[in-house]
Amino acid sequence: MGVALYLIFVWVPTETNQGAVQRILYFHVPVAWGSMLGIFVVSGSSFMYLWKKNEKWDRLAVASAEVGVIFGGMMLLSGMIWARPVWAVWWTGEAKLTTALILFFIYVAYLMFRAYFPPGAQRQRLAAIIGVIGAVDTPIIYFAANLWSQAHPPIVTGPAADAESTLGSDLGTVLMASTLAFTFLFIFLVQIRYKIRKSEDDLVELKRASSASVLTGAN
Amino acid sequence: MAAILAMSLFVSVSQISSAEHEPPISGIVVGVETDDNGNLTRFAVSDSTGVVTTFTVFDGTEFGLENQAGDRWVSTQGEEPTESVRRLRDHRERFAPITVTFENGTAFSVVEREEGKLESNLGYLFAVFAVTWALFFAYVLYMGRKQRVLQHEIAKLKRSLDK
Repeated sequence: MGVALYLIFVWVPTETNQGAVQRILYFHVPVAWGSMLGIFVVSGSSFMYLWKKNEKWDRLAVASAEVGVIFGGMMLLSGMIWARPVWAVWWTGEAKLTTALILFFIYVAYLMFRAYFPPGAQRQRLAAIIGVIGAVDTPIIYFAANLWSQAHPPIVTGPAADAESTLGSDLGTVLMASTLAFTFLFIFLVQIRYKIRKSEDDLVELKRASSASVLTGAN
Repeated sequence: MAAILAMSLFVSVSQISSAEHEPPISGIVVGVETDDNGNLTRFAVSDSTGVVTTFTVFDGTEFGLENQAGDRWVSTQGEEPTESVRRLRDHRERFAPITVTFENGTAFSVVEREEGKLESNLGYLFAVFAVTWALFFAYVLYMGRKQRVLQHEIAKLKRSLDK
């Protein structure tokens, strides 16, 4: 991450059109990638949970959803702050922005469902179904700028980026380095959240065991 | 009398020279106003600091604006008074930036934003990094605290079960 920050603020030249504010790109795109990676992991691990019924997949889905909502919130925030100087508005009902907001709401809905639905296998099963369905939004976000051709710039990375809109070598290198750094950060945060989730499950088990021993002792 | 004439001449010359040095404004079209016939009368541009400037047009106002496909339309307000409205509205919808050269609030030329003009938007860059990193650290701190509480409770329960 230190190398990525050095490249963003010191090494890469200032873009000629937007000036310093263009450097937000090296933050905005990686967190957007993180939020999409998050929903892929939620979807994949939810699918695996439905198939294998193994708790570890459910834990991974929850951890990824929570980190994903953080990345999604950062994507929206950084996009809004970037839009103000270059578009003169904080928000607009543009296709890419709207689909990104929907992704954020999918994450929130998933987490709210888990928070308010009574614990048990049914909650995990229904949450897994929401997680699998939620991933449908991801390709729509990725292709939105090219499909609807509105204000948001076209795709600059990945398989759908065309030669004209691809970033120059220096800018592309920094974007790749930053994306890599944020991917590691995503993995690190998911790992911590996974451990917490495991501790929560262990605590529930211990509480059950404790209640059972109290009941046994009473009998 | 001669002194008054000299003074008025000096004021006029200084006004003209200051008008000549009025720097062009680049930004996004945020408003387009027309008369009853649909001809452009005024338009407003917001620059990267959020300051909105309103410009009036006259028959000699020159336009050089591109559509989304990159085709350039070059004309004057007098020649095509309604086309300029359509072009500016298109720019407003696409958030495409323009550069306006002007004198005393009257636009002389309206073109695609000129490249090479570096703008100091460091405040926005700082805001993005400050807000989002604060959010990250807050989340990491929240998780660290949660983990400590959980470990403490687990250890307590394990001790009570061992007894």
